[in-house]
Amino acid sequence: MRIVCAMSGGVDSSVAAALLVEAGHEVLGLTMRLYDAGAREPTGRAGTCCSPAEIDQARNACAILGIPHYTVDERGRFEGAVIDDFVRAYASGRTPNPCVRCNEHVKFGPLLARARALGAAALATGHYARSVDGGLWRAADAGKDQSYFLFAMGLPALADVVFPLGTWLKDQVRAKARALGLANADAPDSQELCFVGGGDHADVVEARAAALGIDVATLAPGPIVDESGAVLGEHAGLHRVTVGQRRGLRIAGSEPRYVLRVIPERRAVVVGGAEALRVEALALGDFRRLAPLGERATVRAQVQIRHRGRPAPATLELDGAAARVRFDEPIAAAAAGQAAVVYDGDRVLGGGWIAG
Amino acid sequence: MVYGPAVRYLDHNATTPLDPRVRDVVIAVLGDAALQANPSSVHGPGQRARAVVEQARRAVARAVGAAPLEVTFTSGGTEADNLALLGAARALRAAGRPAGVLTTAIEHPAVLATARALAQEGHPLVLLPVDRCARIDPGALDGLLRAHPEVGLVSLAAANHELGNIYDLPALVRVVRDAAPHALVHSDAVQAFGKIPVDLRGWDLDLLSLSAHKIHGPKGVGALVHRRGLAIDPMLHGGAQERGRRPGSESVALLAGFGVAAGLAVAELEARASHCAALVERLRDGLRRLPGAEIHGDPERNTGTTVNVGFAGCDGQLLLINLDLAGIAVATGAACSSGSLAPSPVLLAMGFEPAQARSALRISVGKDTRVDDIDALLAALPEVLARVRGAAVDAAGWREVTV
Repeated sequence: MRIVCAMSGGVDSSVAAALLVEAGHEVLGLTMRLYDAGAREPTGRAGTCCSPAEIDQARNACAILGIPHYTVDERGRFEGAVIDDFVRAYASGRTPNPCVRCNEHVKFGPLLARARALGAAALATGHYARSVDGGLWRAADAGKDQSYFLFAMGLPALADVVFPLGTWLKDQVRAKARALGLANADAPDSQELCFVGGGDHADVVEARAAALGIDVATLAPGPIVDESGAVLGEHAGLHRVTVGQRRGLRIAGSEPRYVLRVIPERRAVVVGGAEALRVEALALGDFRRLAPLGERATVRAQVQIRHRGRPAPATLELDGAAARVRFDEPIAAAAAGQAAVVYDGDRVLGGGWIAG
Repeated sequence: MVYGPAVRYLDHNATTPLDPRVRDVVIAVLGDAALQANPSSVHGPGQRARAVVEQARRAVARAVGAAPLEVTFTSGGTEADNLALLGAARALRAAGRPAGVLTTAIEHPAVLATARALAQEGHPLVLLPVDRCARIDPGALDGLLRAHPEVGLVSLAAANHELGNIYDLPALVRVVRDAAPHALVHSDAVQAFGKIPVDLRGWDLDLLSLSAHKIHGPKGVGALVHRRGLAIDPMLHGGAQERGRRPGSESVALLAGFGVAAGLAVAELEARASHCAALVERLRDGLRRLPGAEIHGDPERNTGTTVNVGFAGCDGQLLLINLDLAGIAVATGAACSSGSLAPSPVLLAMGFEPAQARSALRISVGKDTRVDDIDALLAALPEVLARVRGAAVDAAGWREVTV
């Protein structure tokens, strides 16, 4: 059958395409152009997906595999759904998750629609996750598992998506890439946010804020206070602060202090000891189901609040799109705006965004 | 193993297949032990190679009503356009004459980007608007020239690369001579050559760009044709080849092929034109029967080889990929612009919305195109259109990005 493989230019999606070709499918490679490389982009840096140089890599991989390759323009959608959301979130004191947004709003929305428009029976990606029996499961390679980033795609999309690397280990993927003669076999894994380029994320926020109508005054420095309200120091801007952060606050005191929360109206950052960071429960918004959970339900599960985070045993109370997670043991909280993904063992039950 | 070529080739404005008669000459020269010397060398072998180059020069000159000394060989149409604009405008400025450039917003990037580069150097740039069919109003040209005495060089394509529009160059040149007698006139005739008679003297042009691979010649050669004695600053510096206008050792075999292709293009012009016109007529008729199809460009004056058609509600790129997978090769716009994935600047300049511009396909035929190639395209389109429209690649959240 005809399958569109989303090719980022990296080793994973290249091998995913190769496996589909070997399985006898009619495969076509599609690369999304998501942004224009800034003039500052350094050369020789670890590859980030979908940069112009990576598009060339994807094209070369398809040439080796003997399959057609096309590039489609998703710069407009990526800018609106991912970059602008990222800027707005940081400017309002939340910590965004652009990878989840990109999967939901770009890869498994418009790209899946394009695959259907090309007569494909499925869309494949190089994600490490398993799509089995209508559900989403963790990858066989626990260290590479990317199911956390995929929860927001929704069940209808999941039915049309295949993850050829779900049962593979990264080392096997690299060996396969070498055997195929793919140039990117030993390229380092991308770690940074693809669109941030040579600077840091705060540069992106500051550069785009005015264009989005955000009052640049909200990005100005503000007070760091303790839980009693006493001012301990000054931070460089809410967009440079993340809940749970300890380093770089430059405040005096013998005990380690962590960012507990931000108060956007006062541009204040509240800090406290490690114990104060712990929470027993989290409220989640916009909860997505990837398993038949029912509208209202109480479920025993494990909840993971960051990529590669440790899943914590908890009770999930679902009421439509709202959810509440009560942990068996208090956990160190993640920032508002981050994703909390709910697992039953290796199966993803769903997930939502931490409110606040 | 690279993905195999499409069976039905309907993208002749991007490039044309090499004519076997041209190929035979190129291969013969490449393989001829007596023609391996540098044409600039003084010895006998050099003189024999030189004779091949000069024979090609005569053939190209004859094909466009010019003298051999008026032909400067280049690496192709892009270099010819660059040399025309950069070379002439810089020479004008050095002579203390008006050195601004007037052109249209629908020119090929080889002209438009060069004019913009000149603007960065301080040469004023004046853009002549076109109407919704991309036609040029001679009155508007006259008015702009009189309002902008700083213009010293006018560049107008003889045929548009995305639409196939033909422009009445003799009439437009008369407007320039009348409104701005001091100005030089250049025409990018890359898309017109071989489709309509092109005539340096008859059209009263100063500069003319040609490319071999658009007329079934080899890629990698072209020519700037220019009136004798015209001052052109070289872009490259080096030896005295091409009378110093274009240093670098000549590609003897490719030039030999260019000469043969140019001769054939003129000799067979009428036969090729009528063959293509009949195919395009059939194509237009079939397209008009498809829902939501709109044919762009000048309905009266066109090369009869190109159809630019928009399909309401479709992404042209998805149509192109579907057709490619069905073994039919078409384009969404200029191959030279496709790397950017941006909507066609030509269609935008005509006043189309970005979504309309993105819905366009460019279908261009050539002397080897057959009726069943057209019929295969027309047979494939209904299903492809239904598939692309049915998938509803939604425009919600879409936003145009200006680069």
